[in-house]
Order: sequence, then C-alpha cells, then structure tokens
Amino acid sequence: MKVLRRDFLKGLATVPFFGYFAFGFKNNITREISEKSIDYQKTLGIGELEVPGEKLRPPTGNSGNPLRIGLVGNGWRGEQLLNTFGYIHTETVKQHTANGETSSWLQSIMQREDLNVELVGVCDTFEVHAKRGSEFIPVKNGLIGEGQKKDTNVKIYHTYREMISNGEIDAIVIATTDHTHAPIAIAAAKAGIHVYLEKPMTHSIEEAIELRDTIKSTGVIFQLGHENRQQMSFKIARELYRKGAFGNVSMVETYTNRNSVFGAWIRDEAFDHKLGNKDNINWEEFLGSAPWHEFNLKRYFSWQRYSDYGTSITGNDFTHRYDCVNQVLDLGIPEIVVALGGQYYYQSHGDMPDVFNAIFSYPERGLTMTYDGTLKNQVTRTSRILGSEATMDIDGAILMYKDSYSEKFKDVKTDPSGPLYFYAPRTDVDAISTATSKAYMKGGFGPTFIDGKVLDTTFLHVKEWVDAIRGHGETSCNIDKGFEEAVTFNLANLAYVHKKPVRWDADNEKAIIG
Amino acid sequence: MNKQNLKVIYSSWQIFALTFLRVLIGWHFLYEGLVKFYTPGWTAKGYLLGSVGPLAPVFRGIAQSASMLHVADIFNEWGLVLVGLSLFIGLLSKPFKLFGITLLSFYYLSYPPFSGLGANAHVEGNYWIVNKNLIEMAALFVLILFPSSHISGIDRFIFKNNKSKM
Repeated sequence: MKVLRRDFLKGLATVPFFGYFAFGFKNNITREISEKSIDYQKTLGIGELEVPGEKLRPPTGNSGNPLRIGLVGNGWRGEQLLNTFGYIHTETVKQHTANGETSSWLQSIMQREDLNVELVGVCDTFEVHAKRGSEFIPVKNGLIGEGQKKDTNVKIYHTYREMISNGEIDAIVIATTDHTHAPIAIAAAKAGIHVYLEKPMTHSIEEAIELRDTIKSTGVIFQLGHENRQQMSFKIARELYRKGAFGNVSMVETYTNRNSVFGAWIRDEAFDHKLGNKDNINWEEFLGSAPWHEFNLKRYFSWQRYSDYGTSITGNDFTHRYDCVNQVLDLGIPEIVVALGGQYYYQSHGDMPDVFNAIFSYPERGLTMTYDGTLKNQVTRTSRILGSEATMDIDGAILMYKDSYSEKFKDVKTDPSGPLYFYAPRTDVDAISTATSKAYMKGGFGPTFIDGKVLDTTFLHVKEWVDAIRGHGETSCNIDKGFEEAVTFNLANLAYVHKKPVRWDADNEKAIIG
Repeated sequence: MNKQNLKVIYSSWQIFALTFLRVLIGWHFLYEGLVKFYTPGWTAKGYLLGSVGPLAPVFRGIAQSASMLHVADIFNEWGLVLVGLSLFIGLLSKPFKLFGITLLSFYYLSYPPFSGLGANAHVEGNYWIVNKNLIEMAALFVLILFPSSHISGIDRFIFKNNKSKM
C-alpha cells in the first residue's frame, strides 16, 4: 500500500506545476496579446482601410477588340514598356530560354493577363533601335510568339508623323526625349490616337498647357507614365491622410540620390550607343524644335543632361517623388518655388546640376515641400510627410510614427522608436509592428501587392490605360495630374536657371520670375 | 515503450533534472500554442510569407494556398498545445517528442540562421547555424533517449503493466 502511494505521487510529480500553469496562463496571454497586437483601427482611430481590399479589374480585351499600338522611342524605357505590353525582343527570348527552360522573368510575362494589344509599329531616330523594335514578338497566354510563330509584323516608321497619319494605330506609347513629348503627344491626340506618355510630361509650362488643352478637347485617353500611382503604399497613405491620421501636414520632404556616371545620365557608351554615327541617326528629327546644333553624339545619347532636350534632375528624378506625394496629399501646384544648386562634378556633359535643392511653398495648404537631390551620393532617403499627429516615411513601404505631442494618439502606448503603423510591400502584412519592420523599407519600387497578387506596377499602369480606352474605368495619372507635375518641376527649373524665386500665377497660368 | 530505455536506472537527481527539462520544454510549447489559440484571427501567414533561405518558396507557397495555410495553422495551434501538454504531464511522451522535433524543424528551416540570409533581422539575438530552435530540438532528442515520463509522469500508470513484466 505504501509503495503504491509513493508510486502514485511520483507519477503525478509535475501536476502541481501544471496546476499553476493552468491557473495563471489565461491572464498572462490576455495581457500579452493586448500588448503585442494593438488593433491599428483602434490605434489610429479610423475604420478599416478600404484600399488594401481593392480588386483587379477583369480583363477587358477579347478577340474582337485588339488595340493597335505604336511605340515612339525604343530606347531603354521604350523596350521596358514593350516588355510590359507582352512583347519581347527575339534575342532576349533566346537568352531567357536556355536549355529549353524559360526564366522566371519570362514566365511571369507569359502568365500575365493578355491585354490584347498588337504592336503595329515602332519609330526611333536611331536606326539601330528602330530595327530592334521591329524584332519583338508577342509573349502571352503561356506562349512565345503567337502559336509559336517566331517572326514578327512590326513595321518601322521613319517619323512619328508618318506613324500617326497612317491610320494604322489606335494608341501611341511615347518614350522619347523630354523635348519631343509634347509635340508627339499633341499630334497624336489631334489624330484621335490615345496617348501613354512617359514622365516627365513636358519640357516647358507652355507645352503642358497646350497638351492639356489638346487632350481635353480631343477626349483621347491619356496616361502619364508615373507607375507608382499603382503602388499600394501610396494608396494606403492617401486613405490615412484623408481619414485624418496625420493631423495638419506642415512639411513634406522628398529626396533622390544617385552616385554613378550612368546614374548621372552620361550614356554615350552605355548599351549599344557605340554603334551610333551620323549615318544611322536622324539628327534633325531628334532636334525637333530645339535650337540648332551640329551633330554631336554626347548630346544625342546623354540628352538628359542638356536643357535643350532634357528636364534636369527635377524632371528625371523629382517628378517621381512629387507624383507619389501628390497622390497622397493632392498637393497640386505650389505658389512659390525657390531652387539652388550647381553643376560641380559632371562638367563634361551639358548643363544639368548635380546638386539641387528646391523649396515649394503652398501657403493655402499651410505647408512646404522640399526636394534634395544629389548625383554624388547613393544613400536611400524615403519621402517623409510631417503631420501634427504623426510622421510618415514612405516609399513602397510605410512606417508611420506617432508625434510626441500628438493629441489624437496621446493615449496610445508605443515603443518610441517603433512605428504606430506599418505596411510592408510584397506581403499583405499591415499591422502595428516592432522596430524590425525597418527591414521592410528600402523595398524600392517595382512590384506591388493587390488583390492577393504581387504585380508589376508598370503593368498595372498600362493595363489601367488600356482598360480605360475600352471604356472601363479611368486613368489615375491623367492630364490634370500630369499638368500639376509638369508645372511644378518646371517652376523649380526656372527658379534654378534664373536664381530667383518663381511664382505661379494660377489665374493666367504663367510663371512669374523674381 | 522501449525496453532498453527502461533498463536505465537513474539517481534521484537525474530524474529531477530530466523531469525539470521536460516540464520546461512542455511549458514553452503549451504557452506558445495557447497564445496562438487565444489570439483572435491568428495565422502563420505573415510568418510564412517572410521566410528566408533555400526553403522559403515552399513556405511562401503554403501561405499562398488557403487550404494548406489552414492545415499549417491547425498543426501549429494544436500541435504546440498537445506537445506541451504531453511533455508537461508526461503522457505518451515519446511520440509527442518526435512531433515536437518536427514542428521545431519547420521553424528552424523557415528562418535558418545561415549567413547572409538576413534571418537575424527578425530575432532578438545573434545566431549562426545554431539557434534556440536547434537547441530545443537537441534537448528533445536527449529526452527521447533519456525518458522520464515512465517515472515522473502519467506514462507511469499507462505502461505499468509493461514495467511489472520486466
């Protein structure tokens, strides 16, 4: 009996500890859960966010309505856009189908929604690029080349005028030098051709006005190529702003950084540019309405650096960041702009500044936006929106911090170094998190997360345009948004060139210098 | 129960040490499981989507399939709870120790602390190849080879007949 009792007790030796556990665990779990996972809706005092639940528009293309497109400017960006439309150069297809296996990049394009567009023609002032443009084949519905047909029917047009007047295209994709954006887009719109125009919109404010008026009077569907309009982080930030999570926004900071010769747009020898010469470049067509200059390869291939053709660091880089924050805050056009900087490092090419600072004043909104750009440092600096209640760092991801004097969030306990809200790109994680969420920043741009899928933003942006042409929905970077972009960065360029503040006379749509 | 194991004769301190280790691991599993169980809407999705290393595509695949994610969630919640209970009170402890090792191996492989994968960005310490999951797996392995539940657990009553036959 005695042995039996001892036996029994031994077998139950751990039960008292279990009892303690069972008694105490529930309280502890409740406490732990409430500490760990603060509900962002409750924290931010807003209802459920709507945009993350956004659905993709179903395909609008079918065999009855192929959209015939033409590309003007088959350079680096032009080719990327063709790829986005599902057209790949035959050489690239070969490189991506080694040993009978297609690369994941090619796979992702093959499996994308078929937009039902047909690349009819290309046009480029550089013969090598025009010819290359005619060698693209469709990659869609899981097939390379329609029904494995590897040849192509892409026509080469000598000028954009010929492409537009031929009546063979419904829509045009423009990825040319900045100074030819407006003339090509205006000519196309006047011919009733829908326009996808690469950013920045125009080379001058006058062109922006003319383009806007033409698009409005002709009614063609216009999309400016700021694909970050499709980035979920900016849609969420916009919703947070509209629901009052920021309080009063008094300051917006934008930045861009580059630190390489290529990054500084010196590209005389980049890509296949060494093949260029007087015989295979249509120099006069390139110049367009720009001041006359003798044939010059530097000017041709590194055109971004010359204000005769390009739009400076502001048109190239700032416009991206501006359009992102404009999307969140509806900033519109500033009233006064000042800008300073200089060309200190890359003096061999053109007149583009490599250090640039601008201040954009919005007195009616009670806020100032700044832009800092350098071509001699590559640090990542995200845009920052400073509100009275919270500060947001934003690129493809979001980190939102409570302001220490916030009224709205004064009762919210957070780790002071940790965010109040964060959104991580490429996953659907959006919740309160720890400081390690910083790892999600610097995600850069490119893909975004929508409707349970990770998709390329440029694809979503062209899809939006194609769907709108077929009467479904509207383009997000329409002519009004493009107009705001073009005027804003051109005001900064004027301020830099004249070394004077520049005021925007909104009534007369004129920049007033000094 | 393995006959060979039963032949081991422990000193009282050895039994205490083995039981103590078993209860600690049981406590850890049980609490982890119950926290998931009581967290409203808990899912392994975020954890799986963020996984790194050579098997990351597999774990991300699980997260992206609703049915597989459901299974993974249930295995996590109930697996952790049952392994914890089993170790805690010493019930059917050998199969559950093996199950515990399996669960831990998933956690280990989804964020393997190999150099260059950035797995350390998500944790509080610094680990290289060896992390706490691996150590807990090793501890469970030791507990399989040096069982204590037939002495200080419910298994004592279940496997009593076997014992008397010895």
